[in-house]
Amino acid sequence: MTWTCEQTEAHLSDYLDGFLQPAEQTAFDLHVNACQRCTPLVAGVSHVLGSLHTLEQVEPSPQLVNSILAATLGPQSWRNAKRWLRSFQSPRFVYSVVSVAATFIVILAASGFFSHKPKLADLYPTTIYRNADRQAHLVYARGAKFLSDMRVVYEIQSRLRQDNELPTTPERTVPKSSPNGQPGRTDKTNPSSPRQQNRADEIGRNLQVLAAGCPMLIGFFGERRVP
Amino acid sequence: MEQDAQLVQQCLQGDGSAWEELVRRHTRRIFNICYRFTGNRTESEDLSQDVFLRVYRTLGSYRSAHGGFATWMTSVTRNLLIDHYRRTKRDRITDSLEDTMAVVENKESAGRRPDQQALLGELSSQVQSALTRLSPELREAVILRDLQQLEYGEIQRVLAVPEGTVKSRINRGRIELARVLQQMGVRPS
Repeated sequence: MTWTCEQTEAHLSDYLDGFLQPAEQTAFDLHVNACQRCTPLVAGVSHVLGSLHTLEQVEPSPQLVNSILAATLGPQSWRNAKRWLRSFQSPRFVYSVVSVAATFIVILAASGFFSHKPKLADLYPTTIYRNADRQAHLVYARGAKFLSDMRVVYEIQSRLRQDNELPTTPERTVPKSSPNGQPGRTDKTNPSSPRQQNRADEIGRNLQVLAAGCPMLIGFFGERRVP
Repeated sequence: MEQDAQLVQQCLQGDGSAWEELVRRHTRRIFNICYRFTGNRTESEDLSQDVFLRVYRTLGSYRSAHGGFATWMTSVTRNLLIDHYRRTKRDRITDSLEDTMAVVENKESAGRRPDQQALLGELSSQVQSALTRLSPELREAVILRDLQQLEYGEIQRVLAVPEGTVKSRINRGRIELARVLQQMGVRPS
């Protein structure tokens, strides 16, 4: 294979990087060893490569990283603040804040803070305690009264149910066992209609009084026919 | 490379610490490319900052499928360096005249006092000086191949030219560098 100076110059990097085929490399070596023009060229470029590879990395100034970060993310103080704020985004912290806020709102509501126009004095611990205590007692009293009312209502309902189950027509209520029975008799086998009627009237009156006393029962008894 | 891609994803989600990590990982390499291209520390630091600013603004356009993050950053650096080269061309014409005068003086001084000439500077500073005298196309090719140790394929992606052109530029760059060093009086030992 013949090799020229132009080929040497064109394939010099391939030769130095070891990319030439064996036949090309042999021809290259033969030509360079014999050519006075190519020998210094190859030696010079080899020297350049060696010099480039021995060049060490230059260290930038320590401020360079900080100045880049300041130019992109902002000043150091702002970055620290953002990092600090980012730590509050954890779910655990959010749950804690929400639970504390919910507890605080419950305490304020129990102390009657929201029932009137809030004042600064309402936030004193003694005031909060006093209001909460009063509110608790009030709730307890209302609850007790409600239960008592419900007991009365239940009793009345039970009696009404019993009365409705009994016959009210005198002809039908006369039992066969007492053919001589008359209205108004007090034996237990024949509940007399006038007595029954009187009792129903009395219960009806009681219901009206109770309904007047307990507004919440008006709807309940409003639909009921009072005897 | 995978770690870089992961950091980029975190950056895009607004993670500032991921960006800090990316800056710390690549500052030295980017600064060195700039320094070898310009030969000036202050200029290189300014350029490095510009590179990171541009990368920060265009981070969303990076696609890991098109190559590694380091290659993409090198490409951004190269584009900025070329812009900088064109912008400062007029200043450099004046500088090159002064440099030519300095070479002549060095040659004269080398003829008179070779022992002092040898002590004037280290080899690295001479090579650096010679690098800055290459044309930008040859300079960037030599820097990427022989100083940044990039593969031909990576250089091809960074420079956006065919592989044959990359090889040709590297070859011509090395030969030109050897000639410049020879002109400066640096000869192979």
